[in-house]
Amino acid sequence: MVAGALVAVPTLVAVAGPLLAPLTTAQRGIAYWSGPGYPLGTDSLGRDVLGLVLRGGASVLLLAATASLVAYALGALVGLAAAGTRRRWLDELLMRPLDVLLAVPALLVLLLVASLTDRGVGMVVVVVAVVNTPAIARLIRAATLDAVRRPAAEAMLLQGEPRWRVYAVFVAREVARPLLADAGTRLTTAVYLVGAANFLGVGLPPGSADWAVLVDRNRAGLLLQPWAVLAPAILIVALTVGMNLLADDLTRRRR
Amino acid sequence: MIELHELVAIVGSTSIVENVSLQVPAGGVLALVGESGSGKTTTGLALLGEARPGVALTGRILVDGYDMLGARRPRGLVGYVPQHPAAALNPARRVGGVLAELAAVGGARSGPDASAAEGRRRAGADGARQPGGWTVGRGGRAVAREAVGRALSAAQLATDRETLRRYPHQFSGGQQQRLALAGALVGGPKVVVLDEPTTGLDPVTRRAVLDELAALAAAGLTLVLLTHDLGAVRALASQVLVLRRGRVVEQGTASVLAAPTHPYTRELVEAEPRRIRELVEVGPRVTREPGDEPRNVGEAGSHTARESVDGEPGVTRGAGGGVPLLEVSGLTAHYGRRAALAPLDLVLPAGSCLGVVGASGSGKTTLGRCLAGLHAPTTGEVRVRGEVLPGRLDQRDLPHRRRVQYVFQDPHASFDPRRPVLEQVARTAVLLRGLTPDTARAEADALLTRLGVAPGTTGRRPAGLSGGELQRAAIARALLAEPDVLVCDEITSALDPLTQAGLMDLLTGLDLTLILISHDLPLVAGAADHLAVLADGHLVEHGRTATLLTDPRHPLTRAQLDALAEQEVP
Repeated sequence: MVAGALVAVPTLVAVAGPLLAPLTTAQRGIAYWSGPGYPLGTDSLGRDVLGLVLRGGASVLLLAATASLVAYALGALVGLAAAGTRRRWLDELLMRPLDVLLAVPALLVLLLVASLTDRGVGMVVVVVAVVNTPAIARLIRAATLDAVRRPAAEAMLLQGEPRWRVYAVFVAREVARPLLADAGTRLTTAVYLVGAANFLGVGLPPGSADWAVLVDRNRAGLLLQPWAVLAPAILIVALTVGMNLLADDLTRRRR
Repeated sequence: MIELHELVAIVGSTSIVENVSLQVPAGGVLALVGESGSGKTTTGLALLGEARPGVALTGRILVDGYDMLGARRPRGLVGYVPQHPAAALNPARRVGGVLAELAAVGGARSGPDASAAEGRRRAGADGARQPGGWTVGRGGRAVAREAVGRALSAAQLATDRETLRRYPHQFSGGQQQRLALAGALVGGPKVVVLDEPTTGLDPVTRRAVLDELAALAAAGLTLVLLTHDLGAVRALASQVLVLRRGRVVEQGTASVLAAPTHPYTRELVEAEPRRIRELVEVGPRVTREPGDEPRNVGEAGSHTARESVDGEPGVTRGAGGGVPLLEVSGLTAHYGRRAALAPLDLVLPAGSCLGVVGASGSGKTTLGRCLAGLHAPTTGEVRVRGEVLPGRLDQRDLPHRRRVQYVFQDPHASFDPRRPVLEQVARTAVLLRGLTPDTARAEADALLTRLGVAPGTTGRRPAGLSGGELQRAAIARALLAEPDVLVCDEITSALDPLTQAGLMDLLTGLDLTLILISHDLPLVAGAADHLAVLADGHLVEHGRTATLLTDPRHPLTRAQLDALAEQEVP
């Protein structure tokens, strides 16, 4: 219940926000000022915070979701290949480099890549996806290996089921459970890394309406006009905490 | 000692245990007997003051004068050894550390032997241990180490450093059982509750476990056995309580089993596998083909069937001109670098039933899995009707897979929990025999009914069927392939004796070549016309059941038979 609300509010703001944003005050006011016409005050550039918050969720969700999707696709590919092969060396070749990546702090990778290439949204998505891949690949590999060695999978093979069908009907559903439990952590990491990139200014341009960018741009006025930082920050926190709780709930409810 | 007054366990509004009252003196052995769902485990757990989630306990439970349902029940007063010790042992930790921790948490109470009392006095004297705390001082550590040593020797395990530094998987099945027992003893309990302590053990290990338990009881420990092994009850128990659906049907001394008054107890006793002596004298309970004399497998070492099976209608099922149905030659198998099977040769004529027996870890299951293609052999060949089957399942095409089918030990693990049982069973006929889904389902339904699975239940998911029903469904799933060889790996070991007996009758009534893998020699000997004894991956003895039972050549076979003979009370 709480988990659902925690996720629903930021998601709703992110999805419906851009539609409602034109209703807010478009006119610039005084920086870090609160008064009539500006329910959440103004930011460092005198823009209406409510309007910015309404427009700023879509980029957070979109970037994090895209990065996560790419990460799951990459992770599934590598994990299934490593689990499916009978050649030990191929398994090692696929998994060992990922272990190295897993040991390097994600932010470090992000900043390193940002300093070497052009900054921008595409770079952030690719880095966040790659940084999340090792954990997903390892989880899928381990869960798959466990599932295909169960008597139920072996019985299906003896019945003459082709291997792909054993994977599709039985293994996939067995793997889904740990994967779902882990999804909360993965999505949170994605939101956090995308946010961090934008906060550090290596992602979206500084003028963008994005929750993380807003937190960064308005830090200086935290004591003058706290809502400019608190509103976007609360939404990010609610989203990540909610996703974690929701994943836990779903895992508990299944069986 | 234990006192139970009108124990009632309730789930929701239905009671799963009703009005159980009993008294067991110190050093007594109480056996709770009954099939699964009888309330054995609930009663056993209640003695620890524990109940599974959703179960409410009422009544009075006194252990050594302490109220076990009260808020201030002492720790470590009652030890518990679960049914599958491997599942209870932490695979990631060395056993010495775990036991020392248990000793520290439980507080080394005085154990069954006198030296433990001294340990307690010393523990009190140096005062290093906070009750229930994890911090153990130098003196406490020594006391804990002492308690671990005592518990290990009471459970008949070595106490040297090398043993303490091993991980649970480095112990055999029987040793793991003892390890779990040591874990229960390390806190110095007055009472130990053992859930199926002899299930899954070969006769020799089983006898050793029974001897240990008898010694512990003699030293003043009260034991509670939750079991369907009636032999163990006869050997150990001073009191017997027969439970059925939570009600006490019979209660008394061990003589209850010798002269059962309640029809249910009689049923239980009659369902026991025949004892070896009876098997030798009277023959197997079920004769597969009356008047169908020796179908020799060939003595160990010689690879050829000595007798042709031709001319036996209904048995040969089209075995062509003297070609044996199953031929295994030079089969070896490894797990990593460890050899699991030494070169093994075996010849099996059509229609025969081979029992494969041996201690846990002897390679029985590996042999079965190699035949079914579930484990790729390192060398050697498996031929069915003269045709070589590839080692790996991936390389076996559908006609190959059809020839050898396999039934797994744990019926619940061998089904996909999310699809209806009937649908899963019917797939065999669709895939291996090319039937249409509707025909396959109709045939599966008919077969399931014939095998004794109630028609209304097969549309459910596996969780809606009992273990016995599901194992029958697993057999139906294999039989729908119309296989030449059916390998059954310990298929009755997870079931209670009544279900077990029913399943064995079903198997022996089937008209196909059977391989029964089991640690339970009497059970297998009752059905198999030939026996193969495995030890450490070697086929040590091999021949007709009657010959092997009356004139065992190999010391290991003899040891198993002696162990069995000893547990049999006339």
